[in-house]
Amino acid sequence: MLTNVKLGKNMRSVSIVGIGATPFFNGVENETYKGITVGELFGHAALDAMKDAGVEPRDVQYFFHGSANPYILNKCITPNLQVADWFGMRGKGSLSHSEGCCTGYIALEEAVFAVASGAYDIVLTGCSEQGTGMPDGDTPAHFRVPLTSEVLFPDLDSIFDQAYGRYLGGGPGMNHDDWINYYTKENGLTADQIDDVLSHQAYHFRRAAALCPRAIRRKPFDEMAKEAGYDDVWEYMKSPYNPKMTQYLRTASDSCVADGAAACIVVPTEIAHKFTDKPIEVLGIGASVLDAIVPHLEKKATAEAARQVYELTGLTPDDIDLLYVNDFIGSSAFLAAEEVGYLPKGEGWKYVLDGRIAYDGDKPMNTNGGRTSYGHAFGASGLADIFEAVTQMRGEAGERQVKKLPKHVFLRGFGGAQNVRAIILRSAF
Amino acid sequence: MSNERIKTEEFWNPEHIVEKFWNGLKDGVIYARKCKECGAIEFPPHLACNTCGYHETEWTTLSGKGVLKSFVFTGALNARLALEDRGLKYVCGEVQFDEGPSFNAVIIGINKRKGREIEGKLPVRVRPVFYDMGRYTTLFFELDE
Repeated sequence: MLTNVKLGKNMRSVSIVGIGATPFFNGVENETYKGITVGELFGHAALDAMKDAGVEPRDVQYFFHGSANPYILNKCITPNLQVADWFGMRGKGSLSHSEGCCTGYIALEEAVFAVASGAYDIVLTGCSEQGTGMPDGDTPAHFRVPLTSEVLFPDLDSIFDQAYGRYLGGGPGMNHDDWINYYTKENGLTADQIDDVLSHQAYHFRRAAALCPRAIRRKPFDEMAKEAGYDDVWEYMKSPYNPKMTQYLRTASDSCVADGAAACIVVPTEIAHKFTDKPIEVLGIGASVLDAIVPHLEKKATAEAARQVYELTGLTPDDIDLLYVNDFIGSSAFLAAEEVGYLPKGEGWKYVLDGRIAYDGDKPMNTNGGRTSYGHAFGASGLADIFEAVTQMRGEAGERQVKKLPKHVFLRGFGGAQNVRAIILRSAF
Repeated sequence: MSNERIKTEEFWNPEHIVEKFWNGLKDGVIYARKCKECGAIEFPPHLACNTCGYHETEWTTLSGKGVLKSFVFTGALNARLALEDRGLKYVCGEVQFDEGPSFNAVIIGINKRKGREIEGKLPVRVRPVFYDMGRYTTLFFELDE
C-alpha cells in the first residue's frame, strides 16, 4: 500500500454545534421500543441535535443518512428519502451512505466536506440502524422480527471482497483475532495474560456504561458475578458465563448488537458561536481503507489514518486527552490506542490491567462503554461516539465525566472490512 | 500516465481477469499480475499496481510455494462455515509467496495439536492445495513437510 497522501486544510473550518442520540436498545425484545421504525429513530436523533443547536428543521440545508445495511435490516436502498419527512426536510438535498460499522465516523467526514467546501452552512448528519431485527415479510415498517442466523450469517460475508477474498477465505477468518494474535507474539505475552487484559478492559468499559443512561448493557460485571454465584469477578470473567467466541475473544469482548440513532449539526466555525457557547471544531480526518485479504490490515490502516491527521493538525499523541475506538472487536480498543500513540507501544496492556484506560483513569477511553457495553447499532455507533466525545468536551457527562476536561479528542473509526478514519476534535471555547 | 487513452475497442473486448484467475485455479495455475514499472507482483490480480501506484500490469504466474508467517484458529464467531461443513481442520493466516506478495489465506490440515506444534517454528513452508468447492476451485495451502 502507498502512504503518500498529504491532507490539505479545508477551505473553511467546520464545527459541531448540535448533537442528538437515542439510547441503544434491543428493538425486538424491549417492549418499550418494539414497533418503532428506523425513520422515527432517525427523526428523534435529528430533532434532538437540532434542538441542541437551537435550529428548526427549516434552517437545515442538507442532510446525510448513514446505515450499515439498509437492505437487509430495513428492505430499503435509499433510506435518505424515506426518513426526510420525519424531521421536516422534505424536498431538501440529502445523500445515503453505507460503510459498515465505520458509517457513523464517515457521516461526520461527509458533513464536514459539505460545509468546508462552502456549498452549505447548516448540515445535519445522522445514522440510524436497527441491528436486532428485520422486516416481517411484506408489511409496514413497524412489523419487525428478530434477525435470524439464517439471514445474518450468509449476509455477514457481504463485507468481504466478492471477487477474491471471500472465496480464498483467509481474510474473513482472520478478521477478529489477527491483530491481537500479532500483538501477543510481538510482545511475548501468554494467552492467559491477554485473557486477563481483555477481561479488565471489558470490566472498566462496563463501569462507564453503568453510568451512561443511553447504553444497552449497564449492569456491572461485579453484580453479574455475584448473581452467578462468584465472589471473585475475575473468576467469573473466565467462567463458562463468559465463553470464548474466537481464539482470544470472550463474549464480554464481543459487541452487543443494538438498535439506535445519533446525529449532529455542523456549521462553519466562524458562525458556530451563534448556535452554541461550546462549539467543537473538527480539526481533521485521516482515512485509510484496506480489504480483509491484506495481512494485519487494521494495524496498517489505523497507522496510516493517524499519520495523516497528525501531519495535518501538527498535533502529537501527547496532545490527545481522550480517545474513542470502535471496538466491536473488543481487542481493538487498547491495540488502536497504542497504534495512534495514546498508549506507549507494547505497554498498553499494562495500562488496561491497571485500569488507567477507564473513564476515571489518567488515559481515559470509550467513556460510553464502547461497543461491548454501550452497544453496537452498526452504522450509528460512530456518531454515538461523537455524541459522547462532544458531551465529554462540554463537561456534561455527569458521573462518568473524565477528570481533565478534554481539549483534544481522537476517534478511530473502523468497519466494513475495513474502512478506517482518524478524527481529531478540538473544543473551540 | 501516458496520454494514450484506452481504445473503445478494448473496452468492448475486455479481459475477464477474475474469471481467468478462478479458471486458472481449476487447472492448477495461479495467475497474478506484474507491475510494468516497479516489477511488484499483484496478487490476486487487478488492473493497476497497488505497490507503487502505476497504472499498468501484465500477466504472470506464481509457483504457489511460500511461507506461513502467522495464523489464528477460528471460533464460534468467525468460523468459515463452508469449511466446517466439509469437516476440514484449518487455520487462517498470512501466507507469503516466494515471489513476494502476502495475503490472508486458509491453511488446511492443521488441528489444534499441530497448530501448537508449529506455532514456535514460524515461518514454516507451505504448498498450494487446489480445492474443489463444487462450482469453483479455490486456493488453500498445506504444510510442506
